Amino acid sequence: MAYSDKVVDHFNNPRNMGSFKKDEEGIGTGMVGAPECGDVMKLQIKVQNDTIVDAKFKTFGCGSAIASSSLATEWLKGKTIEEAQQIKNTDIVQELNLPPVKIHCSVLAEDAIKAALADYQKKSGDKTEAAQ
Amino acid sequence: MAHHTHTSGSRDLKMARSMCWHCQSEVSGEYFCERCVKVQPVSKETDYFTCFGLPRRLTIDQRKLEAKFYELSRAFHPDFYQNKSEAEQTISLGNAATLNTAYRTLRDPIQRAEYLLDLEAGSVKEIRTSPPSDLFEEILELQETLEAYRASDSASEASRTLRAQLVAEQAALEGRKHALEQQLQRLFTDWDALQDRGDAGAQACAERDRLLKQMRDLLSNRTYMKNIVTDLVATIG
Repeated sequence: MAYSDKVVDHFNNPRNMGSFKKDEEGIGTGMVGAPECGDVMKLQIKVQNDTIVDAKFKTFGCGSAIASSSLATEWLKGKTIEEAQQIKNTDIVQELNLPPVKIHCSVLAEDAIKAALADYQKKSGDKTEAAQ
Repeated sequence: MAHHTHTSGSRDLKMARSMCWHCQSEVSGEYFCERCVKVQPVSKETDYFTCFGLPRRLTIDQRKLEAKFYELSRAFHPDFYQNKSEAEQTISLGNAATLNTAYRTLRDPIQRAEYLLDLEAGSVKEIRTSPPSDLFEEILELQETLEAYRASDSASEASRTLRAQLVAEQAALEGRKHALEQQLQRLFTDWDALQDRGDAGAQACAERDRLLKQMRDLLSNRTYMKNIVTDLVATIG
């Protein structure tokens, strides 16, 4: 099975690889794994005024998993929380032209986005509560 | 024979029953019709344990499994079907393929457990558990060290230091994986004991769910560890 050009491009030149400090202001961290294949994905967002100003990822897994998370971080930048919620794994499948056996990689990326958003919302919610 | 066929219906209620594709008489979970002796396809609902006449347990009699597998492999061997009808050839070939998969799955304790969890998960919906964040952080960090090592000049001091670090990490991870496997083995024993008791009370049900969840967790963690160890071995050999 050959990877599509886009997967190869993201794999060779991953965008936004790295991480933020978890406890930093406005950071949401999503940590997910696929027990079936053993892939691990960490995706982080940096939020200011309800907008994602930066995103980073680290992925241990196959080329498609790396490409999926790399693409996800690209898409996240500049989106509002609300807009980010709308990103679906099928969008990733389409953009990267993933074959059926690699669809679970895109699902993992969507899960990571959701987990990062949930973590950010939980942290900012806790803060609002504490302030009251 | 005819007498047996007649009464088997009321006697073996638990057995999966269907009709012989050839003579339409009732066949009960066996591979050959008792009346016309035609080969019967393995039903899709038949689990791998039943295929080999084994109880659904995590510790199984390996010798019995192997003996039954060889016996059935002979029974469905293409050589014996060369002069038979096309339907019989197709069925025997399909059976041989199913039994090969079944044997490979049950032979390995980990695959066997994964399979049993799949079978049992229907009643414990969503055994999904929260991901082990600490382990994930560790794996991602280790992967960075691996990449730094791959990118380093192998003659350099830095490269040697990284290598030593990776060798130590590999030994530590393998030790932890082994401990995890022993822990799994204990859960397997507990699970089988619970099944042997055949208790359906509330407490037994809670125990059952607890065991399934724990096994799920440990099996997943084992896969994550196995992957990074494989990567380590491939890199530092």
